[in-house]
Order: sequence, then C-alpha cells, then structure tokens
Amino acid sequence: MRIEASDEELMLRYGRGDARAFELLYRRHRLPLYRFLLRQVGNAATAEELFQDLWMRVVNSRGRYEARAKFTSWVYAIAHNRLMDFYRGNGRASFLSHEESESVLEDTPAAELAADLRLDRKRAVERLLAALVELPDAQREAFLLQQEGEMSIEQIAAATGVGPETAKSRLRYAVAKLRASLGKES
Amino acid sequence: MIERRDEELSHIYRDAEGPRPPQRVDDNILAASQRVASTVRRPAGFGFSRRWGTPVALAATVLVTFTLALMVFERQSGLDAIAPKAPGAVRPAKVSPAEATRASPAEPKRAEALVRSPVVEPQRADSLQKSPSVALPHAAPAQAAPSPQAAPRSDKVKAPTVETALSGERRATGQPARVPAIPPGVEILRKSEEAKPLPDAQRVFEAQQPIRPAQAPAAAPAPGVNTLRESASAVQGAVSGPASRVAVSEAKEREKWLADIRKLKTDGKATEAERELAEFKKRYPDYILPEDLR
Repeated sequence: MRIEASDEELMLRYGRGDARAFELLYRRHRLPLYRFLLRQVGNAATAEELFQDLWMRVVNSRGRYEARAKFTSWVYAIAHNRLMDFYRGNGRASFLSHEESESVLEDTPAAELAADLRLDRKRAVERLLAALVELPDAQREAFLLQQEGEMSIEQIAAATGVGPETAKSRLRYAVAKLRASLGKES
Repeated sequence: MIERRDEELSHIYRDAEGPRPPQRVDDNILAASQRVASTVRRPAGFGFSRRWGTPVALAATVLVTFTLALMVFERQSGLDAIAPKAPGAVRPAKVSPAEATRASPAEPKRAEALVRSPVVEPQRADSLQKSPSVALPHAAPAQAAPSPQAAPRSDKVKAPTVETALSGERRATGQPARVPAIPPGVEILRKSEEAKPLPDAQRVFEAQQPIRPAQAPAAAPAPGVNTLRESASAVQGAVSGPASRVAVSEAKEREKWLADIRKLKTDGKATEAERELAEFKKRYPDYILPEDLR
C-alpha cells in the first residue's frame, strides 16, 4: 500500500523544483479552493481571477515555504488575504465591520431540519446554498473553511487572523442560520 | 476546542454540485508552475557546471601538471646539454668529476652520483668522462682523498679559476696554503671577469660550441689543472688582452718569492729555503735564478 505524500512534503518538493509535486498538490486542492472563492465572491469570473492569483502566489512562494503549519492553513490564509484585498477594492466593508452577538446566538433555538427536506435533498441543497449567500461574509467564510478546507476552529482562526473564540462564534452563527433556513417551511 | 461538525448540514452541502475551475485556468496555473520549476532545477549554467565541472577541473589539473613537468624536464635537459659543451677555463661550467670529488665530506655521495649517473643522464656522464679535466692524471689523487678543507658546493655552477687550481696544487704538494700563490693580476682578472657578465647571445654561442678534444685543452685548459703555471697560462690564453698586466704581476710575485727565500737563508732556515727554492724552480722552470740562490 502506497502512502500518499502529505501536502507539506509536496510543497517542499516543489520548492526544490519538482513540478510533478505541484501538480499533485493542485489536483488535491483545486476544487475546494475554487468553491471557497466562488461562494465567497458569488461571481465566476472574479472567482477565477482570484483562484489563479492565489495559485500564482503559491507558486511564487515555493522558495519561502516552510512546513511550520498545515498546507491548508497556509493556502487558505493566502485566499483569505486575497479576499480581503478584493473586498477593500470593491467597498465591501460588511466583512470587516461585522460583529457577532453572542447573546443573539444563544437566543436562537437549534433549528430542526424540515421533514420534507430530509427526503428532498435537492431542495435542501438549494435552500442551503441560498442561505449561505445570505450569511455575513465572515460567517460564511468560517463555514466554508470548515466545509471545504476541513479546518478546525484553531485553523480557521489562524487562517483568518482572529482569535479562536471569534472563529468559533462565527462558525456557530453560520451553522445556526443555515439550519434555521432549512427548518423553515417554504 | 474542536467544534463538532454539523454532519447533517455537511452532507447537504456536499450534495451540492460543486463548480469547477475552467480547464484553461488549470492549464495556466500548471504551465506557470512548470516554468518556474524548470528554472529552479536549472539556474543559468548550473547543469553545465554540475555535469562538466569536475571533469574539466581534473583535465586542467592534469594538463598543468604535465606542462610543468615537461618544462622542468626540458630545462634540466637543456642545462645538461649545455654544461659539458661550455668552455671550461673562463666561462662557468657544470661540475667536473674532479671538483665533485673535491666537495666537502658531506657531499661525496652526491659527487659520486654525479659521476655514476649513466642511467638518468648517460649523455652527461659520457661528456664528463670525455672532458680533458677528467683525463688529467692529477685528478686521481684528489678523488682518492677528498680534502677536508671546505670546498665550494659541487652543485653550484663554479668557474674554474686560478684559485681552484692553486688549491689543487696545495693539496698535491702538502704545503700550507700560500696566499701569494694567487697572482694578484690573475685575481683582478678573475674578479673583473665575474663582474662583467657576457651578453646572452655570446653565452648561447659559447654554449653551442662543440668541444674539440684536440683543441680544447690548448685553447682553454680545463679545471683541475694542478700547476700554477698551467693555470696562469690558461688565464693568459683565455684573456689575451691584459696579458701584459699578468706578466708584470707574475714578475712581481717571483721577485717577492725570491726575496722571501733569501730572507729564509739569511735567517739560517736553510731547509725551508731549499724547499721553497725547489718549489719555485718547479713552478718557474724557465726562470734563471740569481747567482746567490743557485
């Protein structure tokens, strides 16, 4: 049984000039990263631009990469920074000014998934994606980082440059709102 | 502090048909990554230097070593070829076997090696054996009993002068060194000769002159000549210009020697006077002695 090389190992190999290592790394992360960006910006053309720019940054950082943290944390941090630049450039300040209210979150009851949506997965997906778009940018980002990047609270906090509590709060808000959207009868 | 994932929500999210980046974006990114990787693998000249650096360095080392060895060998051969051909009386010559054997006690092995080196330098050894100085009978006792007196290093290129000839004389006769044995005129000539180097062209010409055994001793007596007369005449023959000065110096020398003999006689040292007189006659056989010393 062949053990697959870790992301960090592949990136280090690419830093030494192994193009094949980069290709493996790219194939491994291209879909989650693209989805992460697309769902954040909501526009395919912008997502493509950001996606390409993100990977170019990875390529150009090959010599400076050190396997201190997980590759996913590193690459999603780059994506986050790129998104911040994009938001600033487009005057989308909601991401930066959004503040979570713990009290509001605590008052929100845990939504139960509607019975019909348990059976109709397609409708459930549509409602979830619609609710995702409605989420504040920071909460959506936290949710997407967990789903696409398979990151923990700590990793989300590190990638987004906030404390773990803030990251946890954002994630809880996102999940609660999404569940609430799925619990409502349309 | 890991937040438990909402698995139901995750399943619904994963059911969503994931959008994919266009193929051209993939191609652009991969092409860029490969371009960069190829530059990482092969910086300018890196491949060439890594592949050929060691062989080129080795080849250069071998070439330089061989060239240097060849130069040294040629230089050595050139010196050996020149040495026996050089006229011995006036110009410096390579060490003759007689001189080599007269070297200091620390040097006899080297001197022997110089004489017995037929394998390494057969031409040189042959030339040395054919040298007139080797053929002289006076060289034999010198070889048999090397003088304990400090002699100049045999490996130096040494000019066979009247002084060296006189030292041979002293050894042959067993007499203590006589300072007057070196005629002042000859000494002056020797110094002037040493002080004035020959032009290169002349030196080369002299070096290229073949030795003619029949002529060489007459024209330029070789080192190892053991009599003052021969040495003086050699110098006279070699330096014909200031010959008159040499003659005057010799005359003065003779007169001084005779005065010394007279003084010995007057002092009652008849034996010593006789011995000195005999030596004088031996050195100047053609000289007509004054009445009081006959």
